[in-house]
Amino acid sequence: MTSLTERYLAATLRGLPESKRVDVERELRSSIADAVADRLEAGADRAAAEIAVLEGLGDPARLASEYAGRPNYLIGPELFEPYRLLLTRLAGVVIPLAAIIVATLAVAAGASLIEAILEGLGGAFMVGIQLVFWVTLLFVFIERADAARDARAEIAQGRWTVAHLPVPAPDRVTVGETIGELVTLLITIGGLLVLRELAWVRDAAGVPLPILEPSLGTLWLPVLIGLLIGLAALHVIVHVNGRWTLPFAAVYAVTNGAFALTFIGLAINGMLVNPAFAAAIGFPQAAEGDSIVMVAVAATATVVTAFEILSVLRRARRTQAARPVGNLGATSTV
Amino acid sequence: MNEDELLGAHRQELRRGTVVLACLLALRTPGYGYGLLKTLEGSGIPSDANTIYPLLRRLEERGLLASEWNVEDSRPRKFYRTSDAGSALADQLMRDMTALTASLHILNGGTIE
Repeated sequence: MTSLTERYLAATLRGLPESKRVDVERELRSSIADAVADRLEAGADRAAAEIAVLEGLGDPARLASEYAGRPNYLIGPELFEPYRLLLTRLAGVVIPLAAIIVATLAVAAGASLIEAILEGLGGAFMVGIQLVFWVTLLFVFIERADAARDARAEIAQGRWTVAHLPVPAPDRVTVGETIGELVTLLITIGGLLVLRELAWVRDAAGVPLPILEPSLGTLWLPVLIGLLIGLAALHVIVHVNGRWTLPFAAVYAVTNGAFALTFIGLAINGMLVNPAFAAAIGFPQAAEGDSIVMVAVAATATVVTAFEILSVLRRARRTQAARPVGNLGATSTV
Repeated sequence: MNEDELLGAHRQELRRGTVVLACLLALRTPGYGYGLLKTLEGSGIPSDANTIYPLLRRLEERGLLASEWNVEDSRPRKFYRTSDAGSALADQLMRDMTALTASLHILNGGTIE
């Protein structure tokens, strides 16, 4: 045998477990010899025949995989769907959470807003990579390890029943929903006004100290309340329309986003709480923009607003998907 | 995928579904790797060496083929033969195949008996 065949055999055997090597080598060697002999009889020259036979057999690594019975995929078709679902759902929750937490910690450590955002993105990326890697590794193990055979069967054969169908959320905006939203907004507006006026703490001279920074009353408080009134009006309009549509969702996103950004901006700039009030109750840091309290407030507002906007957007997308004709914003006639 | 690729892909599917049965039937007469390739080709079921050789090994592992080394000729060769279990399976698969072909004929516009 010339060196090409030897090299081919060596390459193939490398991918095989020890126990199979001797027999496969014997058999493959003789099969190659048979094939070459056949071609020689048909008139080819030895070198060309050998090359043709070996190339006909193909990549020795793949041949070895076939001999060894290894699956040539990481995660097979049966496990792939559970894997994909788990990964996307986990990532959807964990990665934004990581971004927010890292950014929050950065602000608490004294970073500027831009730096905090960048750190947040960096943290999200690192967490994301870890998440994808470990979840994938887990499923590769389940797919291929003998020890995980039972787990594999259970995951792959989970019978689908109609109980698994997602329950459709009502598309129509109900009266109860709208009233609920309006009441919430009313309470928020009322709360802001009350916090500005009501003071149960007094300073040494007996002057009442409201919780909310008094200077807010000139500009920012009216802005916040105005945005909330705008949201209330939007809810009424959407109720009259009957459904959330994409234009309405966009307006909601902008208005709610503006409210959140203003509120967060005030919080992290230390303009939310009355410093006299904070000093009087013994928590001067509460009035500072980079205190843990304000940072937590900002983070919470971000998360809550994001969820609200996302859920409205999702409803609008569902409405649009269900409509055969894009009649956006028009009054529904169903 | 263009037409040729489409046809090739579907043909490969058909072949993949029948290659095990073909081997079990052919090896009722003992044969060796390369010889089996020629036999299959001769009867109109061409197959790749890199499919057949590992397949023979897997079928042997599952007890559907029995093997023994033949050292009489100039070259030692591993001969495979369909085991009893393999033969029984082949009979059953052959019955299924015949029924399948009949059904396909009916779907293709033949008459229902």
